[in-house]
Amino acid sequence: MKDFKILKILDLFKIYFEKLGINYPVMRKILHVKLLLDGRRTSAVLSNKNSKRKDNEKEDKNYFAISLVGYFILGLFLILYIVIGKNFLLQMSLVFGFIMFVMMTSLIADFSSVLLDSSEKVIILSRPVDNKTYNMAKILHIFIYISMITLSISGPSLIVSLFRHGITFFLIYLFEIVLISLFVINLTTFIYLLVLRFFSGEKLKDIINYIQIILTIAISFGYQMIFRFFNFLDINKMGYKDSFWKYLLPPIWFSGPFELLINQNSSKHVTIYSILAIVVPILSIIIYIKLIPSFESYLLKLNSVEGKNKNKDKFTVFLSKLICKERYERTFFRFATKMMKNERTFKLKVYPSLGIAIIFPFFMIISMNLKDFSNIINTKLYLWIYMTFTMIPTVIWLLEYSGNYKGAWIFETIPINEKSVINKGTVKAAIVNLFMPVFVLVSIVFLIFYKMKIFDQILVVGINMILYTITIYKMSRKFIPFTKPFEGVENTVGGIKALLTTALAGVYAIFHYLITKIPFGTYIYVLLGLIFVKVSWKKVF
Amino acid sequence: MEPIISIRNLRKCYGDKEVLKGINLDIYKGELIGYIGPNGAGKSTTVKIILGLIGDYSGEIRIFGEDIKACGVEYKKKIGYVPETADMYENLTAREYLTFIGELYGMGYDEANRKAERLMDLFGIKNVYDARISSYSKGMKQKTLIISALINNPDILFLDEPLSGMDANSVMVFKEVMAELIKMGKTIFYSSHIMEVVEKISKRIILINKGEIIADGTFEDIKDQSMMEGSLEKIFNQLTGFEDHERIAKEIVSTVVEGER
Repeated sequence: MKDFKILKILDLFKIYFEKLGINYPVMRKILHVKLLLDGRRTSAVLSNKNSKRKDNEKEDKNYFAISLVGYFILGLFLILYIVIGKNFLLQMSLVFGFIMFVMMTSLIADFSSVLLDSSEKVIILSRPVDNKTYNMAKILHIFIYISMITLSISGPSLIVSLFRHGITFFLIYLFEIVLISLFVINLTTFIYLLVLRFFSGEKLKDIINYIQIILTIAISFGYQMIFRFFNFLDINKMGYKDSFWKYLLPPIWFSGPFELLINQNSSKHVTIYSILAIVVPILSIIIYIKLIPSFESYLLKLNSVEGKNKNKDKFTVFLSKLICKERYERTFFRFATKMMKNERTFKLKVYPSLGIAIIFPFFMIISMNLKDFSNIINTKLYLWIYMTFTMIPTVIWLLEYSGNYKGAWIFETIPINEKSVINKGTVKAAIVNLFMPVFVLVSIVFLIFYKMKIFDQILVVGINMILYTITIYKMSRKFIPFTKPFEGVENTVGGIKALLTTALAGVYAIFHYLITKIPFGTYIYVLLGLIFVKVSWKKVF
Repeated sequence: MEPIISIRNLRKCYGDKEVLKGINLDIYKGELIGYIGPNGAGKSTTVKIILGLIGDYSGEIRIFGEDIKACGVEYKKKIGYVPETADMYENLTAREYLTFIGELYGMGYDEANRKAERLMDLFGIKNVYDARISSYSKGMKQKTLIISALINNPDILFLDEPLSGMDANSVMVFKEVMAELIKMGKTIFYSSHIMEVVEKISKRIILINKGEIIADGTFEDIKDQSMMEGSLEKIFNQLTGFEDHERIAKEIVSTVVEGER
């Protein structure tokens, strides 16, 4: 078996561990296995682009190492904030805000399965391993994990800072990074504790799921945002106003010491920040140690069966009767609705594209840097709504996959001849549950921009959205929904397929633009479009 | 003879719910004990407390004559455990997992590896020794779990539903293995819901219900004590106060055959 370098480093401290009464060989063994497992766990967020699984498992790809490269690239952006000037309060708040966000979300997204694992105890503590050794292995594991991430994300800027701002800056930065790592670990644990205190384990899993989704959206936008917003800021000239709510933001605390020690600015708020930056993390460590036992007991809740749930099916049943004619189609509409709303892996893969679809139109408008926003009413900027269409191909292609794909045998055994009703119900469910909410939300915002004057245009977009969905469905290969594991997903982001479908959405937008040039064009199109939707829907299924 | 495990007045509460209400038990070397009871009776809790997985109990447990609260973890070197919930690191291969467990028991890597490979071979699953456990069938996982419990040559074995998912041939082999181990003076603590097996293999049966032992002895003893006839299954149902099975079964069938409305 291969050995880890980090463990060889740890070997140097062997004597100290043994002095603490820890069984070093056993602890090393446990750590070894944990690191091995880290490498085999695919990151929920960063590595989903390359997760095509090889049947040949001997080729031991280290997924953790791959995700570290991702964090390293994110870390490169931080260099910009370091070099730009000497307004440390602002610069470093941004840097620390970014680092804390990434560390926290990655801890929750990728590491919570480790933090919340209660089966591990059965495996290890039923063997002759004492609690002390086991807990030390656990703490070291979290520590190694978080310091690897911290190092890859802050490493580039750390080195640059040494040359740009000198040794004092470097040392403060380094010291604070360590404090922040500890602080973030503790904070995450407190959040888990709080959630577990009031909610069930399932709820916690849901919350983790949503954080994973948010992180995915944030990262795909982060790369673009950092550059775009950079132009707006002339950091050196920005002043700083003290206000109460700023004391509540940890990233600002950590920027305090730089201002205090390097810029020799010892005004009241800077001093308070600096004190908070040191005291709060240390306090959190003390509380953490006190709370560990109760955390363990709450962990038991994770595996407990959930209490009574209300039957929330009534609305779906009503909806299915409204939308679907056939009996089996209704059944599959309801089934697909439940799968889309409850299946966490599916949500993790699909919801980020919905989030991006919501943000994209506004993002484009903002980045156009309009001088006069009130004049928007005379423009055709609403055509940016077509950007939301980009979610449709992704979702349609992913309908084939599920985290619970093993349940798919039911499709083979059901006595239904006309298998097309399965897809009919599923696609309808996707339109109603996923596309419509996004479309309605974006449209409402645009309607407000336009003071309700573009209602007819929104209708056209809506009709086109359904037509586009039908087209994409027709273009995709035949599938039965929710029957394949996500590990087999082909690269859906990027590639010619994605380019083509985006171009197609563009064609729809241009077409729409042309219609608006024809007198009464929109009204005629709404009528024609509705008929066209009806006909093509029948043809495709 | 001194008991190998002795439990005195063992109590355990979760919140205000008392799950063990004073268990007293002496177990001797070479016994095969069938430990049975309905779901939630406290079977797994007892075993987990003995193994030190759950603390915070009241009462006294002595293993090899030593109080487990006081003697540290040394005693676990002589114990093997097959948990009901088949917990393993499934992303490891059997080679990695079994050598890891072996080393936790204080064996050397080579020794553990040799033994594990040999046992995998004997259980007929050597071909997957280097595949990840997550890819195994249920039976293969169960065999791996059993190997992990036997690898350290334990004196006491705690088996919780150890046969689940195994085919009939493997079951036969494993039953024979248990019989051989007993002959060698090992002690086996066997809990299961399959009464036929328990009835056949156990010299001594302990029935636990609602956190209390309600019967203890050979199958014949229990029959005499409870003045009941029939199989262990029947006695089990009567002792745990479950007499509704016929009525419920009838209702289930009538619900199944109910016409479409």
